[in-house]
Amino acid sequence: MARRREIGKAGWRRTAVMAVISFIYFFPVLWIILTAFKSHTDALATPPKFLFTPTLENFVGVFSRTYQRGGEAIDTKFDLFFFNSIFIAGTSVLIALIIGTLAAYAFSRWPLKGNDLYMFIILTTRMLPPIIVIIPIFLMFRVTGLSGSYVGIILLYTAFNLPFTIWMMKSFFDEIPTEVEDAARVDGSSETKIFFKICLPQVKAGIAATAVFGLILTWNEYLFALLLTGIDTRTVPVAMASTIGGDIGVRWGLLAAIETLFLIPVVLVTFLLQNQLLRGVTFGTIKR
Amino acid sequence: MAQLILDGVVKHFGKIEALRGIDFEVQDGEFFVILGPSAAGKTTTLRAIAGLEKLDSGRIVFDGVDMAGIPVQQRGIAMVFQSFALYPHLTTEQNLAYPLREQKMARRDIKLRVQEIAEMLGITHTLTRKPASLSGGEQQRLAIGRAIIRQPELLLLDEPLTNLDAKLRHDMRAEFKRLHRELGMTMIYATPDQLEALSMGERVGVIIDGKIVQIDTPADLYDAPYDRDVARLVGDPPMNLIPGTVRRNGGGPSLELPFLHVPEADLRNSLAPFEAGTELIFGVHPQDLKLATNGETEASFDAEIAITEPQGDITILDLKAASEVLQMVVPEAEGALHGAGEEIRVRFNPRDGRLFLKDSGVLVV
Repeated sequence: MARRREIGKAGWRRTAVMAVISFIYFFPVLWIILTAFKSHTDALATPPKFLFTPTLENFVGVFSRTYQRGGEAIDTKFDLFFFNSIFIAGTSVLIALIIGTLAAYAFSRWPLKGNDLYMFIILTTRMLPPIIVIIPIFLMFRVTGLSGSYVGIILLYTAFNLPFTIWMMKSFFDEIPTEVEDAARVDGSSETKIFFKICLPQVKAGIAATAVFGLILTWNEYLFALLLTGIDTRTVPVAMASTIGGDIGVRWGLLAAIETLFLIPVVLVTFLLQNQLLRGVTFGTIKR
Repeated sequence: MAQLILDGVVKHFGKIEALRGIDFEVQDGEFFVILGPSAAGKTTTLRAIAGLEKLDSGRIVFDGVDMAGIPVQQRGIAMVFQSFALYPHLTTEQNLAYPLREQKMARRDIKLRVQEIAEMLGITHTLTRKPASLSGGEQQRLAIGRAIIRQPELLLLDEPLTNLDAKLRHDMRAEFKRLHRELGMTMIYATPDQLEALSMGERVGVIIDGKIVQIDTPADLYDAPYDRDVARLVGDPPMNLIPGTVRRNGGGPSLELPFLHVPEADLRNSLAPFEAGTELIFGVHPQDLKLATNGETEASFDAEIAITEPQGDITILDLKAASEVLQMVVPEAEGALHGAGEEIRVRFNPRDGRLFLKDSGVLVV
């Protein structure tokens, strides 16, 4: 059993030092969040302002704003883009998890001749910079008509997530002792049942960790989303980039507001899974 | 009838020959122990019986049925694994209920049966806890409970006590005997510990290098080990094995040990079949060596005490006699009188000793 962690055991001085270091690391994020609540003039002020009157105008502006002075406020469709980001990332991570977990279990428990070679080949797909394959993929999407569709970008992200999912999940399956499965066999369980009732529950933490990493990876992806999504399937990173420019230059407050909103889902998921995540990331580092 | 027959069972793992033709029979209701050093093939034998390993050749017949085509799930055999192999994500109650759920037993009956087994093994207080929060002894009981809950005809136990501390081991040995008596099921128990084998087994099969070399009752195993390897495995401390040479000078044949000359008449076996100069091994249990007092008629020799190992009731003395290292067991009271470096005189009755052939190591009968 894990040793109980005593709260405050590190003492005040160490806690203070850690707080300072954490603050330094967190400062850029904090600055973005602060900027999101500033008016355009406050955001551009030199020296930078720490005390200001907070405003929500940037957040309103994310969803509808005027593009010309005195013009009418127009819907920016950002609600759709947020939906797209969540839908595309969520679905592709889910599909990758389903396929990847099954594959990883097979690689771990029913190894093929040349198992390691297959694992290596799977990994090679992540070895080259994605930009190298962008032109062939772009052409493939044009020919198959996947360009601009949800199916297309979800398939692509699933393919991106798979190698990583398989490798991570395999290591989690490798960690759990096969004797437990043998015990289930002796107790009368079928192979399907062993996978679902015995193995999956044991790698729950691993699934959570893999899901979060995959989600962050997909959530922030820009390059492929830029080239392969259409107007209606555009994700937030792409839409965010397209707000730069316009009549009053870069609207830092607006960008910061989008980013702040963009952070929320990932923070939320990570927070919800954090207990599992800690176990998942440190899985197998100590003998239980 | 739950009679089990293993007939020429062979199993390879790649180039390693794990089982090299295992033959034995276990009778209905018997407590059969497989004793062997680590990596001798004990676990593989049990796994083969359970159906977790495919045989390369040979047959396993259970209840008159050849098990070859029968999958693990349908063999009606239960197994306790060395690592216990509890389901870590399930509570004690769910662990116990698992085999019954797989048999599609009614929910009410499961509850009753779980309660019954938990009470029998004294783990009722752990029912809602998960294995990680149980003590070693509780985990062990849970593993046994999960195995016996569906009343299998045959129970396989793979070194179930290896992971426990000494005190618990002692209690559990008695517990297993009680369970066997109460449940009346056939049990096969694999262990590297000769004490467990001798104290629990009705019959003991000794496995060495993937082959069963001897099957006997504990008493016979101790008294007449089949060969040198078995002699090294049985008894605590194991038999002293001393090289000897057959001599035939004038007054009848005799056995020359490095520190003593033993005439044939004093030995259990006749030396007639052996030519002069034949090398043999003389084996004698440490318990059969005694401290000599004056005026004794038995064979005796001088030795130097190298180390004394007091064990409470007895003391083990490590001796050096000529070039040989021997062990003897004396009562604590006697052992306390002697210290390392001291010269003592040791006596024994050569008739208690056993002879083994030097080359094959096999016992001379």
